[in-house]
Amino acid sequence: MNGGQSLNRKKQTGQTRKLAIAPYLFILPNLLIFGVFIVIPSLLGLFYSFHVYDGLNPMKFNGLGNYIKIIGDKEFWSTIGRTGIYAAIVVPLIYAVALGIAMLLAREIKMRGLFRAIFYWPTMISFIIVGLTWKWIFGDSFGILNHMLTLIGVEPVGFLTSPFWANAAVIIATVWSRAGFFMVIFIAGLQAIPTDYYEAARLDGATGLKVFRHITLPLLKPTSLLVFMLSLIDAFKAFPLIFALTGGGPGKETTYIVQYIYEIGFTKQELGLASAMSVMLFVIIGGFSALQFRISKGGAV
Amino acid sequence: MKRRTNFKLSFSLVLIMSLIMLTACGNTDNSTVNTGSTGGAKQATLDFLWFSDGNEGEVIKGIIKEYEQSNTNVKINLIEVGFKDLQTKLKTMISGGKPPALSRITDTGSFANQAVDLTPYVESADQFEGQFIDSLKPYYVIDDKLIAAPMDVTANGLIYNKTLFDKAGVKVPTSPEEVWTWDEYIAALKEVMAKGGARYGMVWDVTPHRWSTLLYQNGGSIVTEDGSAAAINSEAGVRCMELFKQLHKDGIMPESVWLGGENPNNLFRSGTVAAHWAGNWMISNYKDITDFEWGVTYMPKGTQRSSVPGGKFLMAFKGSGNEQEAAAFINYLTSKEVNSKYNQESLFMSPRKDSSVLDYEFGKEMYEVFSDELKNTSPLAANDWSRQTLISKISTDLKNNIIDVLSDKATAQEAMDKTAKLINEAIGSQ
Amino acid sequence: MELRPLTKIAIYSLLSVAALFWLLPVLWVVISALKTNSDLYSYPPKLWPHPVTFEHFKEAFSKGDFGLYFKNSTIVTLTSTLLLLLINSMAGFALAKYRFRGSSIILIGFISTLMIPIEVIMIPIFKVLSALGMYNSMLAIIIPPAATPTGVFLMRQYLLTVPDELLEAARMDGAGEWKIYWSIILPMAKPILAVLAIFSFMWRWDDFLWPLIAISDPAKYTIQLALSNFIGEYSVDWGSLLAMSVITMIPVLVVFIVFQRYFVSGMITSGMKG
Repeated sequence: MNGGQSLNRKKQTGQTRKLAIAPYLFILPNLLIFGVFIVIPSLLGLFYSFHVYDGLNPMKFNGLGNYIKIIGDKEFWSTIGRTGIYAAIVVPLIYAVALGIAMLLAREIKMRGLFRAIFYWPTMISFIIVGLTWKWIFGDSFGILNHMLTLIGVEPVGFLTSPFWANAAVIIATVWSRAGFFMVIFIAGLQAIPTDYYEAARLDGATGLKVFRHITLPLLKPTSLLVFMLSLIDAFKAFPLIFALTGGGPGKETTYIVQYIYEIGFTKQELGLASAMSVMLFVIIGGFSALQFRISKGGAV
Repeated sequence: MKRRTNFKLSFSLVLIMSLIMLTACGNTDNSTVNTGSTGGAKQATLDFLWFSDGNEGEVIKGIIKEYEQSNTNVKINLIEVGFKDLQTKLKTMISGGKPPALSRITDTGSFANQAVDLTPYVESADQFEGQFIDSLKPYYVIDDKLIAAPMDVTANGLIYNKTLFDKAGVKVPTSPEEVWTWDEYIAALKEVMAKGGARYGMVWDVTPHRWSTLLYQNGGSIVTEDGSAAAINSEAGVRCMELFKQLHKDGIMPESVWLGGENPNNLFRSGTVAAHWAGNWMISNYKDITDFEWGVTYMPKGTQRSSVPGGKFLMAFKGSGNEQEAAAFINYLTSKEVNSKYNQESLFMSPRKDSSVLDYEFGKEMYEVFSDELKNTSPLAANDWSRQTLISKISTDLKNNIIDVLSDKATAQEAMDKTAKLINEAIGSQ
Repeated sequence: MELRPLTKIAIYSLLSVAALFWLLPVLWVVISALKTNSDLYSYPPKLWPHPVTFEHFKEAFSKGDFGLYFKNSTIVTLTSTLLLLLINSMAGFALAKYRFRGSSIILIGFISTLMIPIEVIMIPIFKVLSALGMYNSMLAIIIPPAATPTGVFLMRQYLLTVPDELLEAARMDGAGEWKIYWSIILPMAKPILAVLAIFSFMWRWDDFLWPLIAISDPAKYTIQLALSNFIGEYSVDWGSLLAMSVITMIPVLVVFIVFQRYFVSGMITSGMKG
């Protein structure tokens, strides 16, 4: 765990110095590119957040006006809440599904490559096509699912018009489209668990669930943290897919936070306000990530 | 460890390759960066931002080619993007200090301050405006400035499934004198559903713009004529909302369109819906339908007849360095000959008064219906929809409030009052 | 580890059911691309195209110079992916195996920026790109998106599992830090590099926002930029969109199938045995 420090202190100081500089040099190219193309623009976005700005005409300074407006904006908070609930359901679901499939596909089984490809496939279809596809399945009056239900004599279900079913449809489509991505991460994580741990456990007579609980899960901690954090951010950013499927409807039932920000910034042309909302979101998610990171000690084994 | 060396070797190889490629791309970039003037006859490259619904992209490319042949100093760089990305791209280019020379555009009002005033480049503003259908004027004349030029005009209208109507033995109006009242129209739809086997009477595009057709037919409007206050919660507005809800309740319209996001265009294409409230742009889209016959008929009247006019415009931008060339090109594109060719081949309607009758190769009689709708349109429609900065602020809320009524979350009166409040707030903040 | 026959059957049936669920919507996309328009929109829905037609493919290809767009996308995807593998693995290594000031702040900062909707900061991004002379340059869609937080995070979490003893042993033998990264870490990280290669290939191949911001020259259009032209104000050209989606999927799928073979154990032992 403690890479540089556990090094024998008696070693020549030259190497210690090298060890002190090395990480910064390793991180530099990434940091430089990221700083120039993401951090600087983000700081400018932070600057917008204190202004009234439509993206075109001169900005007007507005102090904390945008932030005050957001704090009093009931819809912003209810959208955050709705997104939070969605995330609370979708994140564990994706975690479980992706890990389950990964455990089956990390083994030596026949046609492993084919199965992996099938689960990964949905991740590469553009969201607008994914939306069209699932609409074709879930569509209320013209979807295939309802068509089949009527054939067997069951009343059609309002999959996309009832708030409950619309949310369920969105969750199913999300899991379908994202699980493959995290499955890949899990497969790699599982492969990184040294096989001699399993051998040792087997010699001790441990099987199945016990091995999973005492070997796999603990040793998978770094990957688990990664998947949790990435899928959480994913869930909060879930917008293109849902928009293509339900348009955020019925009403606002499946409108999540990024779509809300997008509508403020682009449909209503209040880019300053949208920037302030992004800042708030950044703070919320950043705080949450930091907490998760602390608790899991960075996912160290 | 042979494999390890192999891996290292291949990794370094691809790395070197990528570096070479990077520098290679880097070098080729410089040649096209800018478009400055180089003495004599000014060489100009005009960035022209464009989006397409149907084949108009191909048509404009042909016209550009002809223009470049007769104006050898001008090169036109057609930048095609999807419709929803055009505004984003345009904003980015303008705010980033690299505006395109011109763009095809629908929301002229939002970019009014960045547009080149075309007045000095045309014979006279009056003469120029006089060429086009009057209802379009508020879209392209703002603060006495000529901020854009109309390329085509659109009208909302009624497309119907002829096969289903014939099967039910229901006749549609064939001349303006026979126009249905709303009650007659609803009765007709019910009959097509009962006898013609239509699953639904009609589908209606999920946009406040298409929805507002109903509003104008009943004498309502979104804002008052002088734009000083909301008018949507008037008695007419509430009555329209109630009618719209009733149509859903009676199963004439599927809830899945407004509530569930199903695409009305695709539903009409399935051949099981009797009518689609859309606009003239759908003619070219439906051209390839072979499973059933379809046509265009007159929309029913409430207290009056009305459609909603709209259009696509061309706008030149300040600071492109090629304002004059852009204006000259816009003049060329709006001239009678070129504009008629463009609209005829794209199956659009011309905004020019002198080209209202074009020789379309498809659906000529349908365009006559649409242009009759346009002639019988409430002036309040253009008055509302040309206020684009206001409209952009409230259209999402209007849509959501309509949906609230459909899903029983609000009464018609509540929803319209709520919308009116937002409209008044938006007017106040301007 | 040999599996018992019963377990085997259970695994296969579970996988097959799940795979079917995953595959059906994908198959629908492929089948729909082969349908005529009237089959595509018919109700009741038609499962099988009748007749099978390639008209959407022909039509899509007639709407632009797709050969050129494929070439551009390929150049961008390959170069950007290589750059990403290099810089992300370096950064991930530093964050996993060194203790230094600000390391966790850098990482959390990195990851949190994923939360910022890029659309909101598009205008500043454009300004930066044009200040650096990268507007309308392929470099603008190769270099900036290569510094992905996800990639760094992925590398770091994987490399956390590399035993420190290995690095220390190498240092004792007098290996420099770069040498450790290049000849110990990279070979060990092969499975995760394969994962990252697959992801990066998909990200860049499907990237839309960066090209939208940076590219205005039709000669430098990528596939996704060209595809978005099929979406108009009033109507979407679903046929062409479906057809091109099927075609653009193929390279990503091939890359996946090739690289997934490297998802094998990089570390044979825990280091417990030395």
